[in-house]
Amino acid sequence: MSADLSLWAAPVAAAQVVLTWRRLLAYLRYFQQEGYDARRFVAWVGVRPLIDPAFWLVIASTWVSARPVRAAVLFTVGALALALLQPDSRRSGKITLKMTWRAIRIVTVAAVLAAALWISWVAVSAPAIRPALVASALVLVSIPFLLVVANGLLAPYETTVQQRYREEATAQLRRVHPFVVGITGSYGKSSSKAMLAHMLQFKAPTLAATGSINTVMGLTRHIRENLIRGHEYMVVEMGAYGVGSIRRLCDFTPPHAALVTAVGDMHLERFGSLENIFVAKRELAEALPDGGVLVVNADSANALRIAQTVPNRRALLYGESSSANLDTRLEGVRFTKEGTAFVLRTRSDEYECFTPIHGRPIVLNLTGAFTLAVALGMHPEVAVASFRTIRPVSNRLEVVEDRGITWIRDAYNANQYGFRAALEVAAALPVARRVLITPGVIELGAVQADVNAKLSQEAAAVCDATLVVSETNRAAFEAGHRAAGRSDRLTAVASRTDAFRWVGEHVKPGDLVLLENDLPDLYEHTEGFFWPGSHTPGDSR
Amino acid sequence: MSAPGVTPSRVAAVLFGGRSLEHDVSIVSGLQIVHALDPAMCTPLPVYIDQQLRWWIGDDLWHTESFKRGGPDRSRLTQVQLGPGFGTSQLVPVEGRNDPIPVDVFVPILHGTYGEDGAVQGLLELGGCAFVGCGITASALGMNKRLTKVLAVNAGVPVVPWKSCERSALDRGTAWMRDLSTGVEQSFGWPVIVKPCNLGSSAGVSVASSPDELSAGLLKVFEYDVEALVEPFIKNRLELNVAVVGLDEPVASVSEMPATSKASILSFSEKYKREGGKSVGSSQGMAGALRVLDPQDLPEELRLRAQSYATTVFRALGCEGISRIDFLIDGDDGALYFNEINTLPGSLAFYLWSAAPHYWTITELLNRLILRAERLRAIKRSLQRQPPPDLQLFG
Repeated sequence: MSADLSLWAAPVAAAQVVLTWRRLLAYLRYFQQEGYDARRFVAWVGVRPLIDPAFWLVIASTWVSARPVRAAVLFTVGALALALLQPDSRRSGKITLKMTWRAIRIVTVAAVLAAALWISWVAVSAPAIRPALVASALVLVSIPFLLVVANGLLAPYETTVQQRYREEATAQLRRVHPFVVGITGSYGKSSSKAMLAHMLQFKAPTLAATGSINTVMGLTRHIRENLIRGHEYMVVEMGAYGVGSIRRLCDFTPPHAALVTAVGDMHLERFGSLENIFVAKRELAEALPDGGVLVVNADSANALRIAQTVPNRRALLYGESSSANLDTRLEGVRFTKEGTAFVLRTRSDEYECFTPIHGRPIVLNLTGAFTLAVALGMHPEVAVASFRTIRPVSNRLEVVEDRGITWIRDAYNANQYGFRAALEVAAALPVARRVLITPGVIELGAVQADVNAKLSQEAAAVCDATLVVSETNRAAFEAGHRAAGRSDRLTAVASRTDAFRWVGEHVKPGDLVLLENDLPDLYEHTEGFFWPGSHTPGDSR
Repeated sequence: MSAPGVTPSRVAAVLFGGRSLEHDVSIVSGLQIVHALDPAMCTPLPVYIDQQLRWWIGDDLWHTESFKRGGPDRSRLTQVQLGPGFGTSQLVPVEGRNDPIPVDVFVPILHGTYGEDGAVQGLLELGGCAFVGCGITASALGMNKRLTKVLAVNAGVPVVPWKSCERSALDRGTAWMRDLSTGVEQSFGWPVIVKPCNLGSSAGVSVASSPDELSAGLLKVFEYDVEALVEPFIKNRLELNVAVVGLDEPVASVSEMPATSKASILSFSEKYKREGGKSVGSSQGMAGALRVLDPQDLPEELRLRAQSYATTVFRALGCEGISRIDFLIDGDDGALYFNEINTLPGSLAFYLWSAAPHYWTITELLNRLILRAERLRAIKRSLQRQPPPDLQLFG
């Protein structure tokens, strides 16, 4: 028996270590994407460990454990093969695992826990192959939960560290004392922030984070690393994850002026009701000082209601369709492949404008940013001149020509209004045929099916072919196309990889492809998790 | 003591990378120089300067491969800094107790801001180090297109006329832009080139054919620089480049005509990526770009004049090392204009010496430049440093 033990123990343990490490990294990527929120992560994990081929490999090995060497060889070879086959989550996938110090801490503690679990199980059982394999099965099934436990164990430490960073950021903010502009809205926060910062940079040194930093933790890091004496403006995106979250952000970076781009039904599931969304967004207006500039989109009834219900602010209204008495009105929007031409009418003047970005909502956001910049004393002509040098944000209604094919990349949009805006641009551009690739929109609660069916029906009128990706909204899209009498224009595909394969086979120069709302990995078929997924062409993110 | 006749090997630290738009280009150039240094003359020490201006040394730095996918693995490198104290000329590890590495000569191969503009040269001067190439003044002047033009004109070299404006003018609104537009239209006519005054690459450069495009072009420049230059766009233009090496006398190379010169403007990607979409990641770097060396269809007189102007500008700025001086030829009237100077051109423009009459390899040139750098340092060091009695206030 002891001779046997020495034969299998080392390779089995080594294979287990390699496999466990790879699986830890694979799950960690999704834990990180969920912001280390245990509830959301566990909901995503579900029964996934049970469909892990490695788990079934262990079961199979246990089956033949009457012959220890055979079982050990099967497990060792199989586990190493599976470990090697698994794509590296730090390099592959749409959103890769970022090995931050926090991620390293969590994965290290989880690895120690896994080792402890395995060793203690083997120790209390007999040192034989079968208990070792049972321990392996146990570890494999519990890997995602070990990450959660590790995160829990580290929580007091993380809190202390975050608290210290936060104090440093607050102190830096007090030293520099920039004029803080807060931006919120159900959509268009990031783009409005980027456009406002683009304009303000020509007035005074302005700090705005690139990308969507909109949490206290994200802002803390941003301020500590980038805010320096001399910055006169800081533009902050204020994301609402529920009632109270904007208030917390405003306590941290008290705004002097605010822009509310829209209050709509995005993330309705998370908020519970439209009224809650309204209350959550209004917190930004409430945080302003008396007389503080509050710019709101009057086209959005609930945004307008914010301006009407928070007294003692210098409210300025902008919009396109609103019948209210506007401070800036957007008119005459025209789309070309090069960009968008439009007119801004203020109370005193009228400006002919052009910008290389596309889409009615973003031009409306630009109108809001313009209104705010001018209210802060910027020369309107300088602001208008700066429109021409705004760069499109990658994957936000970005029009790109590639080998004769016009791509509208709108992968990061996630709502029906952006969806419609992209369809409108697609319809306006002069192309031969139009192809839409989308999984539909999500997080809409009870109305999700209706909204997607409506979008599908509208898409059928514009697009010669629509590829609906994944199961999530397939039925709704089929219903929408049926209602439009265009069922022949709809193709259902399992994954974006399949969609791109279809594009490779069918799309010709002169055509247009609209990539709409490419869902995060969480909602798509988890191809490439245990096995290598195939390469996605045309994906140059 | 080494045996007579055997020169002890020097350590030549090649600096590349840096905090500029041309960080990647500098890596390619720097590694070319690392591999071109004469082992009989010196031992190369690659020093990578990252975007945060931290200096790194390590074995990985010898290969372009290490710089792909987010840059070299820092855990395998040692962070160093220039040792404190005038004349120590050594690289000191930032952490740990490793011994400092004495450096005999520095070879900065940094393009753009914080490298080609006198900043690193200033640091090396403070350390009393020998270094190849332009000193502080020439580097700083060469980076500023307006000042270079002024000096060139002063030295009798014709330049394309220009108008300049500062970003701070935006504080007064845009009325001045309309005035500038009117002025530009009257003096130059449309179209015009709008470019940053202080950048080496083509970033921020645009062609404007209307007042609207001019204001857009100016704002584009102001994202990169605080000063913009507006010049007439010579429609039928040819580009002609000449390198000059500062030996005892400045020597001009043959001229080259970049093959893309017929295009309206060099964009950043055109300038730094070669035909076929292959990027500068290849070890050939700039040398592989399409160009015509010593273009024989140009009149002899024009080529000679370009060489003469090139050495004149080199002298006027007080350059050292190898600079590349770029000219524009107006195809309509054959006029030759000085356009700009690169005081640290990509690959040190070594390909320009590969033709008659010089046939110098980059290795030979570097040998000469290293000797000259040491000589210049010694001259500077031996300048009188003893304060006259009236400045000795404390006895």
